[in-house]
Amino acid sequence: MAPVEVRPKPVLRSKYCKGCGRCIDACAQGLIERGTDIHPASGLVPIALHPEACNGCGLCVDACPEPYGLVSASLAAELDASEDRRRFPHPRLPAEEVPAARAALPEGRPLVVKGTHAAAIGALLAGCRHFFGYPITPSTEGAELMAKLLPSLGGVFLQAPSEVATVNMMYGCGGAGRPVMTFTSSPGFSLMLEGISYMIGAEVPGVFVDVMRAGPGLGNIGPEQADLKLACRGLGHGNTHAVVLAPATPQEMLDFTMLAFELSFRYRNPVVLLADGHLGEMTGKVTLPAELVRPGEPAWAVSGDAAHRRNLIASILLKETDQEAHNLGLLEKYARMAEGEQRAELFRCEDAEVLVVACTTPARMAKGAVRALRDVGIAAGLFRPQTVWPFPIRSLLPLLGRARRVVVVEASGGQLEDELRLALSHAGASTGVEIQHVRRMGGVLPSQGEIVEAIRGKRSSRKVVAA
Amino acid sequence: MSTFYERFERHDHAAGLKAQSTHYCPGCGHGLAHKYLARAIEELGVQDRTIAISPVGCSVFLYYYLDVGNTQAAHGRAPAVALGHKFANPDSVVVSYQGDGDLASIGLTEIMHAAQLGVPITVIFVNNAVYGMTGGQLAPTTLMGQKTTTSPLGRDRTMGQPLRMAELIAQLDGPVYVERVALFDAKQRVRAAKAIKKALRLQVENKGFSLVEVLSECPTHLHLTPLEAQRWVKESMLPVFPLGVKKDATPTDWGTWQKADFDPDALLEAVGARAPPVPRFCSGFPHGLFGGDIGLKLAGAGGDGAQTAAMLIARAAINEGFDATHIPSYGPESRGGTSYADVRLAQDEVFSPDVPTPHVLVAFNAPSLAKFGLAVAPGGVVVYDSSVVREPPAFDASVRAIGVPCSEIAAELGERKVKNTVALGALQCATGLFPDETFLAAIRQALQGKSKLVAVNEEAFRRGMRAAEGCGADDGWFGWWI
Repeated sequence: MAPVEVRPKPVLRSKYCKGCGRCIDACAQGLIERGTDIHPASGLVPIALHPEACNGCGLCVDACPEPYGLVSASLAAELDASEDRRRFPHPRLPAEEVPAARAALPEGRPLVVKGTHAAAIGALLAGCRHFFGYPITPSTEGAELMAKLLPSLGGVFLQAPSEVATVNMMYGCGGAGRPVMTFTSSPGFSLMLEGISYMIGAEVPGVFVDVMRAGPGLGNIGPEQADLKLACRGLGHGNTHAVVLAPATPQEMLDFTMLAFELSFRYRNPVVLLADGHLGEMTGKVTLPAELVRPGEPAWAVSGDAAHRRNLIASILLKETDQEAHNLGLLEKYARMAEGEQRAELFRCEDAEVLVVACTTPARMAKGAVRALRDVGIAAGLFRPQTVWPFPIRSLLPLLGRARRVVVVEASGGQLEDELRLALSHAGASTGVEIQHVRRMGGVLPSQGEIVEAIRGKRSSRKVVAA
Repeated sequence: MSTFYERFERHDHAAGLKAQSTHYCPGCGHGLAHKYLARAIEELGVQDRTIAISPVGCSVFLYYYLDVGNTQAAHGRAPAVALGHKFANPDSVVVSYQGDGDLASIGLTEIMHAAQLGVPITVIFVNNAVYGMTGGQLAPTTLMGQKTTTSPLGRDRTMGQPLRMAELIAQLDGPVYVERVALFDAKQRVRAAKAIKKALRLQVENKGFSLVEVLSECPTHLHLTPLEAQRWVKESMLPVFPLGVKKDATPTDWGTWQKADFDPDALLEAVGARAPPVPRFCSGFPHGLFGGDIGLKLAGAGGDGAQTAAMLIARAAINEGFDATHIPSYGPESRGGTSYADVRLAQDEVFSPDVPTPHVLVAFNAPSLAKFGLAVAPGGVVVYDSSVVREPPAFDASVRAIGVPCSEIAAELGERKVKNTVALGALQCATGLFPDETFLAAIRQALQGKSKLVAVNEEAFRRGMRAAEGCGADDGWFGWWI
């Protein structure tokens, strides 16, 4: 005669029973009924279980929505045994941090490529093998080059259904510790801001190359410095900041994209690279670096293996004091960025009496203007922020003593000037003279000629307004 | 222990009962879906490989409970986040867990495209016909006549009708498996657990995208007891959301996933930096030509080759060790329309890359010549296609205008496209910008892989030079203005 199988009976851990009664229906024997007593710990009324006649079918356990309410005998035994043993999330140690490594790059010939392509190549050199994006002029050629090159390098190119999906794919991929990037342009960047806020909150790296175009709204595809404000002050909701790099040449598109990945992982934060329509399309000489980067494996990544199982990527902290502590930590991180990442190019600033402030392509027109002004004996200099956030105020302050005029040249309605003014204000400094400007918008960049004219035409400290 | 954390430390730091109790209301279906998912993970032996994506909604705290890799996503975006994870680590087993507001309303784009993409991820879609976390509002799956806080008199047609997501997704080509299950009795719960396990297994086996829609109870916002809510799902939801397998394709393998390659040589090869340097022919930057940096504008209609010619000039200068920029500018048309190029050359560094007053204008048609002709700098050079521009405008006396029948010469050569190379030859003859060999080398470099076109382009360049003879740099013409 075969031995009779004795199935263990379920165990009710009444503290964790919410008394929903789903198990009552599930029991064919009718051995479960509504309870009558309020449990002192939960304040709820657990069900009453009469296991005497129970045949251990387990259907009641399958009907209990609580993981640790009505449980199998074996689970109950395990829980009892470990009652006093704390285990969070499980006894594993944090994963080991595998740092990124550098490998020598054989000398190649200089490339003649456009800005977007230079940025794409910079991303590949920085070890990026994951690209998600949505086509938008004038950034698309960067994505197209990634689509062409990534498959041959074992990488992933995915055209997302929208910018919203794009940034969330980046959130997942970056959260897995992979260097990930996108190309976009102003309207698309607007759509990504929510996701960028989540990335900052969850401390996920990722690189956004925004080839800015004219706005507001659909605007046009001409170059404008339309998103300085968004990138510096408006990265979605909440307490957000990111390093904002402002290249001015195709070479810097490559170099700064590589730098962007490095900073993104150093700070576990997105990095924004702001180009403009002209810089994205502009072809120029690009020399490759001596080394490329093989990405590491961050200890914090959620990468789907045993070593990283304990990790969590999330921006939600329900307890207010936890959220506040997190924000204080972010502020401390922003302070480190502000301290360590200010970058600027100074051109003929050493004795400059007319200090021109400009970034991205307009800075090149401004540089031309400075040379032309010098040719006619005006001591002009260009101060070019290479990071707009943090604004490179440290290298600006020593120049202000000599400057008799400060002229901000930009392709926006004053977004760069606002950054300058905020940086001065935070530093408790002032230019000592009125800040003047040359501004164009709508897809028009200030030309070298009009900058020269504006500066030569007005020698006083009154406002200079372009025609 | 199970796939659940033994203590829910993330649940308010496991204070008191929260150490082992979920945040769900009594009788909520989420706990059951969690449980069947946890069991499937356990039975398939993939706990270490699993990444659960928590949505926004009541199940936002899935990561409190499941002892797997966890990522919490923005509202509706869980499938996009899941794809990011899957592409980052193809060996991971990624589960997107979503409610009805999340998946069927705000996240419709993400779920439809993820499903159609078909990449092996698993979606658990919990449909309880109402918004839970925000407090009982109308959901995209709310039944007709159902009262919610935003349909206080019951849902009517002005609020749209319930979306049947399982059916919508099942008709796509991408998914391999779609089923709708329920939780209202023991039989349904067995089926639900089985479906969830199958959906996960299809991913573990690298087959494809699967989705299980779970009809679930929200007693709180239905204002019913848990047992009444079970009955409500059975009697009211089932007629609108019929249970069963909606798609079960014979699963073939999704395919192999690529492994990232970081080999320096492979990268150099891919970006085209492997080729040997192009020889130099130039003894120095042509400073004398226009008194410093040189600005050129090339203008025509789309297809005239203005951009290609502009690129050749920039490339030629860079090959010689100088700096150059090229900025294209197009009309809104994808084909045809206007096409202008600004090229700036400098010995060491181009400053302002735009060319509002070009030293050299190459115009391929009359509108381009009219638009930019008068902007040419004093002492500048204009090359235009005299095949199409019959009556050039009057230029400044110091500007030298050279009409060359670019189109006709190109037609004679049997390759209409090379009219831009003809123009380049004419430009070279007129200015002597660089040695001829500089341009010819740049042409050969640009035509790598299209060697058949090299001969005709070289010939076009020479024909352009010959056609412009008599107005070149060698006749001392520049002497009077420099």
